[in-house]
Amino acid sequence: MKITIQVMVPPYTYEDLDTALKIAEAAVEKGHEVNLFLFADSVLCINKNIKPLRIDRNIPNKIKEMISAGKIKVDICGICMDYRGITTDMIVDGAKPSGLPELAQLLATSDRFINLMA
Amino acid sequence: MALIIVKYGPNNPAERIKLESATENDDVILLQNGVYWILQNVKEHTKANVYALKDDFLARGYDESNSNVPLISYAQLIELIEKHPKSIG
Amino acid sequence: MKKLLFVAYQSPVGSIWVNEAFRTAFGMYGEDLEPAVLLLDEACVAVSKNTKPELLGLLPLSICHRYIKNYGTPVYVVKEDLEKFRVKEIDENFGANVVNKDQLSELLQQFDHVIFM
Repeated sequence: MKITIQVMVPPYTYEDLDTALKIAEAAVEKGHEVNLFLFADSVLCINKNIKPLRIDRNIPNKIKEMISAGKIKVDICGICMDYRGITTDMIVDGAKPSGLPELAQLLATSDRFINLMA
Repeated sequence: MALIIVKYGPNNPAERIKLESATENDDVILLQNGVYWILQNVKEHTKANVYALKDDFLARGYDESNSNVPLISYAQLIELIEKHPKSIG
Repeated sequence: MKKLLFVAYQSPVGSIWVNEAFRTAFGMYGEDLEPAVLLLDEACVAVSKNTKPELLGLLPLSICHRYIKNYGTPVYVVKEDLEKFRVKEIDENFGANVVNKDQLSELLQQFDHVIFM
């Protein structure tokens, strides 16, 4: 099954990225294909320059590992990036700047859509 | 028949609408601060079947005996996702 | 054809979500998708004729009007919310369908995905 998860709120301030990645892990474990769509402030999580405290989790690293392990595909709302000063050289390897046409495509082609509201 | 995702507690007007407009064929998953609905006897606010994410409930200082809805794992949440093509989130 | 309902519930002035609900809805037309927008709670203030975020230098809501008309995007707003927030004059450019709160359950159930913003 193809499952898309959309996140809207910023990482670290809220738990949504953590929730999304845990749902993704569990879905992949069961053989599903998972796409993550980053919308609005959630795009901040894709910045590889993020430096959390050492005792805290590193969300961009976690996303990078999941992408490189072929577990998830990540699309980022491009306008949302522009509004927050995130440029393509700042983003985690393998994540893809995209936009609403890609979100529309994901909504049209996914078997399941999980929205974590703002 | 839909899977309804509730991530904020009883102070959020949108979550209240989601719960109140659900039918007996819907399943609700309480996650994140949505688990606080359990303390307000969530079943009085909705006709749907209600589940809560166990990790999110326990991490907020409660134990299983404090819940009157089934506490489920992420793997069990995937089963709910598999069950419902429709979603309200 | 999947039916999508984008729902904003936060104020149209001071938060971006009403604009984002419309922007996202309009972005769906390239695929076989049928979007609609529901303005709940504080978001209902968007349809007031006198609401003008641009007075504060924020994005105007009027940029949505042309697309609503061209695409025929259905817009829903709740009667009880309009009363609660004392919206007296509705801007006809939204083409808003006023529904009662007790009709919301039936409305939400019509869609494949209801996406709150």
